[in-house]
Amino acid sequence: MKQQAFEAHYEVRWIEFADWLKHSGEKRTKGGGKSALEAMDVPARYRELCQHLALARDRQYSADLIERLSGLALAGHQALYGAHTRGLERVWQFLRTGFPRAVRREVRFVALAALLFFGPLLTLTFAVPRHPEFAYVVVPARMLDSVQEMYGEATKALGRKREADTDVAMFGFYIFNNVRIGFQTFAGGLAFGLGAIFYLLYNGVFIGAITGHIIHSGLAVNFFSFTSGHSAFELGAICLSGAAGLKLGFALLAPGRLRRAAALRAAAAQAVPLVVGLAGMLLIAAGIEAFWSPRTFLPPVAKYAVGAMLWLLLLLYFAFAGRERAN
Amino acid sequence: MLDTAREIPTPEGIELSLRLAGPVARALAWMIDLVVRLTAFGILSIPVSLLGGIGAGISFILWFGLEWFYPTLFEVYGGGATPGKRALGLIVLHRDGTPVGLPASLTRNLLRAVDFLPLLYGFGLLSVVLSRDFQRLGDIAGGTLVVYREASTQHGAIPAAPPLPPAMLLSPLEQRTLLDLAARSQMLTSERAQELAALAPRLSGATGDTAALARVLSIANYLIGRRA
Repeated sequence: MKQQAFEAHYEVRWIEFADWLKHSGEKRTKGGGKSALEAMDVPARYRELCQHLALARDRQYSADLIERLSGLALAGHQALYGAHTRGLERVWQFLRTGFPRAVRREVRFVALAALLFFGPLLTLTFAVPRHPEFAYVVVPARMLDSVQEMYGEATKALGRKREADTDVAMFGFYIFNNVRIGFQTFAGGLAFGLGAIFYLLYNGVFIGAITGHIIHSGLAVNFFSFTSGHSAFELGAICLSGAAGLKLGFALLAPGRLRRAAALRAAAAQAVPLVVGLAGMLLIAAGIEAFWSPRTFLPPVAKYAVGAMLWLLLLLYFAFAGRERAN
Repeated sequence: MLDTAREIPTPEGIELSLRLAGPVARALAWMIDLVVRLTAFGILSIPVSLLGGIGAGISFILWFGLEWFYPTLFEVYGGGATPGKRALGLIVLHRDGTPVGLPASLTRNLLRAVDFLPLLYGFGLLSVVLSRDFQRLGDIAGGTLVVYREASTQHGAIPAAPPLPPAMLLSPLEQRTLLDLAARSQMLTSERAQELAALAPRLSGATGDTAALARVLSIANYLIGRRA
């Protein structure tokens, strides 16, 4: 068949297919558009188009025809095989099952990250009150002074240096700062895990030294009544960001039977739910830290109780949410 | 063929061709996006700053969103491209040529933090130059490609001319070469087109350049099946 006859014979069908592509694109954005082609017929039409393209290439038809057909085929490929984004249902599904399942699946990395983070944190929390000078080795003296001021007796809102910092301003700042740290820890894992390990150790040492210093200064009650509320979500999220980063790094170090690029791709796909989830946790933590933690109208014991409750709820969520019922 | 064309096999047994975007086009797109982001932040900051402490909180959140989620938002819900990429005619796709989804887009944009190191996308550039498909590290981990939206248009329609059978039997490859020249003849300068047509004297007849091109066009018309 000569090209001219080929084109004349199938022109109408290509135009119909192009028309459907246009309408299906509109449908996704505007909710309108009716095409001559029924949705049912589209896969068959797409296969037909692919066959035409193969024929046109094999018969060495002219380049403009081949370009036109491959353009249509590419658009059809994208329309048929592209992932369709779903809305709120997906968010709920993720919270109910996706996130806790992802955490359980990566429990080894979560445990390693927790060790790297809570190890130095707890060690310094207990060691620094006995050797107070060590806090000055890891944290600049100016910062220790300002922390002391934040939890001192004079302050009206715990954890704030200036009275002018309103709750909402701090909420914004906590999101901006903490989620960024979480994302950086994850991304740092790409350096064979070193970035993630660094951020975990660094934050563990830093937070541990400050906690120990505060205890040594006798401000423990103020400090813990501020931090207990949001500690579960914030420290938990740091662990998860480290775990996600370690997963990336491990895929590069030990790709198994895959090529490194493929191993990295697979690991990233499995780490993404952790990162999305931990970003959500940090948003919650920022809310608690800005609006609840600084309040002083409740006795510290009540705030400790709330903090402990949140830890328990979070651990139960990770341990049990989204498990299939055994038949 | 072209070294920036990437062939993707599909389940239907055909190969789709994508044209990969190089570092310069991508850097320009990023710069446009930077300007868009800074402008958006500047404009939104004015009313927000009147709100005092609440405004400070909002502008932190605003900047955070623009920094981390601006690309993902546009890539997943805005047709695969940020405004900068759209301006340059680029689009982000999965490796298999399908539109980028949320997980892949998040991966490539969160890992931007590493690509940006040590300075202005140093690692990203290194990775783009070293990888076969112009992928930065985020693209490798996310399994994504940045390609040109439109296929290259180096060929026009073959201009109509009185059809003429070739004087000899042409192999498929020879036919194809001749058709390609005919299709490109409108995009070349007429001198260049004539010069190229005259390269095959036995086909075009060595009767002067203008006549040679006319003859090539006539043969092309015959080959695609036009008849007088």
